[in-house]
Amino acid sequence: MASHAKPAGSGTKRIKGKIIILEDRCKGCDFCVEHCPRDVLGISTQFNEKGYHPPEVINEENCTFCGLCERICPDFAIYITTEEEVEEVKPEVKKVYANRNKNLPIVKSTMKGEFFMQGDIACAEGAIAAGCRFFGGYPITPASEIAERMAYRLPMLDGVFIQFEDEIASMASIIGASFAGMKSFTATSGPGISLMTENIGLGMMMEAPCVVVNVQRGSPSTGLPTSWGQSDMMQAKWGSHGDYGSISLCPKSPQEIFDLTIRAFNLAEKYRLPVFIMTDAIVGHMTEKVVIPPVEEIEIFDRKYTNKSTDKYLPYEIGKSMIPDFAKAGDGYRYHTTGLTHDERGYPDMTEQCQKSVVTRLVEKITKNIDDIMMIEEIDIEGADVIVVCYGITARTVIPAIEKAKKKGIKVGYMRLITVWPFPEQRIKELSRKCAGFVVPELNLGQIALEVERCAFPDARTKGVTHAGGGIHDFNDIVKAIEEVAHGKK
Amino acid sequence: MAKNKSKAPKNSSQHPMEDFLRMDRMPHIWCPGCGLGTNLTAFTEAIKKAGIDFDKVAVVSGIGCTARVAGYVKVDSYHTTHGRAIPFATGIKLANRDLTTVVISGDGDLFAIGGNHLIHAARRNIDLTVICVNNFIYGMTGGQTAPTTPLKAYSSTAPFKNYEPPFNLVSLVTSSGATYVARWTSLHIRRMTDSIVEAVNNKGFSFIEIVSPCPTVFARKNKKGSGLDLLDHFGKRSVIDHSANPNDIPMDLENPIVCGVFVNKPKPSFWENVQTGIHGEVKKHRDYEKSLSQE
Repeated sequence: MASHAKPAGSGTKRIKGKIIILEDRCKGCDFCVEHCPRDVLGISTQFNEKGYHPPEVINEENCTFCGLCERICPDFAIYITTEEEVEEVKPEVKKVYANRNKNLPIVKSTMKGEFFMQGDIACAEGAIAAGCRFFGGYPITPASEIAERMAYRLPMLDGVFIQFEDEIASMASIIGASFAGMKSFTATSGPGISLMTENIGLGMMMEAPCVVVNVQRGSPSTGLPTSWGQSDMMQAKWGSHGDYGSISLCPKSPQEIFDLTIRAFNLAEKYRLPVFIMTDAIVGHMTEKVVIPPVEEIEIFDRKYTNKSTDKYLPYEIGKSMIPDFAKAGDGYRYHTTGLTHDERGYPDMTEQCQKSVVTRLVEKITKNIDDIMMIEEIDIEGADVIVVCYGITARTVIPAIEKAKKKGIKVGYMRLITVWPFPEQRIKELSRKCAGFVVPELNLGQIALEVERCAFPDARTKGVTHAGGGIHDFNDIVKAIEEVAHGKK
Repeated sequence: MAKNKSKAPKNSSQHPMEDFLRMDRMPHIWCPGCGLGTNLTAFTEAIKKAGIDFDKVAVVSGIGCTARVAGYVKVDSYHTTHGRAIPFATGIKLANRDLTTVVISGDGDLFAIGGNHLIHAARRNIDLTVICVNNFIYGMTGGQTAPTTPLKAYSSTAPFKNYEPPFNLVSLVTSSGATYVARWTSLHIRRMTDSIVEAVNNKGFSFIEIVSPCPTVFARKNKKGSGLDLLDHFGKRSVIDHSANPNDIPMDLENPIVCGVFVNKPKPSFWENVQTGIHGEVKKHRDYEKSLSQE
């Protein structure tokens, strides 16, 4: 903006200047012509390249170079220069930031040793150990303990705790904090996840590293607030609209909640997406021994910050890894990002090709790195006739059932999905050639059982052992299912 | 101040705004006669005038015509989901308190789908500047009724006129606890710019309503002529009264549009309160935590 020249006449020195009209930018609104206080401008009879009549200078001698036309123009099509300003040197805009992409200082967690600890608390401690210093959340049973613990712990670590008005805001805030360079997470249960799914989609599209903990309860709707279930498993994969790769970790004990929370942060940072921890009210409220190792022994992965200069950096430029390098807000990169389909500059691009490349990459960055992400625990798999596929709390109820079935002479294998998403499709396919079938006990009416059935060859039978939640399986039901599958083949 | 002071280029083909806009995205999508470009000029002028480094500004927007501002201003800019700009900006601000975080969005985004976030951010006094461009209608989706559509105005979803009373934005925000509240029209360019300077310098929740013409849907549906006519209409109807009580100045189709800075009473922000309040308490607990970790 030009400085405001004093009006002409009455003893003040007149400042020389120029009115510059960028005709082809004009959309013919006439704001400048109408609101010029000294009627300097008129409407041209000429057309510009868009087909509008741009303004023209008709009374240049009246102009005081007040700059009103420049300010009111909605299309940046007119400006004035004055002589003094022409002499000013244009400052260098492009800067190179050598060491600015450092993380915010992190005070190390002071907790270490053996504790008798609740699952939800272990989750909060895991997040702190992973370097998380931002929690935005909303109270909900059975996840509130995580928020309470963070409210207590974060102020001691110079972190930020904020309780929002709802889960929608909580999820939006952790994406914002993530772009400002902090590791962030939120914790909720089924109804909260339903509200968060909108912004989970945003996090997937913008590729914001963050962690979402779902302490599952009986569903749908308000369901069983104080009781448990595993019925949000498909929501973790398909919850938000559109295709995207999902990572979901299913812990079975407080110790594993602690360990997997750290892993969830590492995966979120590495692959740049919101990562789910799909626990449930039993594991969340269970109190067991949790060993917290010294900080030095905890492996932490931080997102890859760009080392490019501000003028060369493109926020969604892909190297070999399929994961774009990160730059945080305030480091001078001044980039744009959006929930719209965007090109590598982060600008909206509504073409079919761009949509294809973005969505494909969001899915493939997970599926093509499945070997790095996937975790499965297998016991007695080789030579097993029946394989029990389980996850989360159900992995503990199947143990006596497997023992009983073994006593009856059936060869039973145990396969626990620590990461339910991405799903071990190849492994299930491979095993389905060798065994009679799968038994999938879960606290829903058959979500992962369908997935197992989809991946297995048709010769192998898949039998789900369903339970609507609010209790746990009678292990005899599982034994019965194992027997059915085993004898069905023979 | 000198740092960002404008520089008119020697080469006259460069508009002075160009360093602060994403010129590779021009021309913008706004219709001829829309006030949004003017408002954007006022915003960037204000940032320059306030002497804030553009590297330390984050602009967050939701969805709608106004929300496209984030895509054109060359700072760290985030175009988020509908109505969720304020919580997203809260996350950015609290995670990096050095950033001047500004939410620029429309009336539908901030007061309909995002109304809850707005009143709670005002109540907490988060250090954000919220610029709400009020064009009385949902522009991008084709002119449906907004929470600001005046009584008896037409819209796509009110073909027999609107019979819902609109929100008085400044009153709602004032009663929610905002520490800086102003209203201007797109015609009050200089006052609006000065107001944005005050708002970004205010360490608390600041709110500016900009009454802006929508020629394509609001003016067309309501027989108000062109964008220029609507702007003139605002100009004729507006009066400046800083002492007006925000509760007494609703927006409608007939009465004067009362503009001014209605609230300018700085209070400690959310983060200041948390820091001062928690500081002493934390020390006690830190000692306790230490005792826990010692075996």
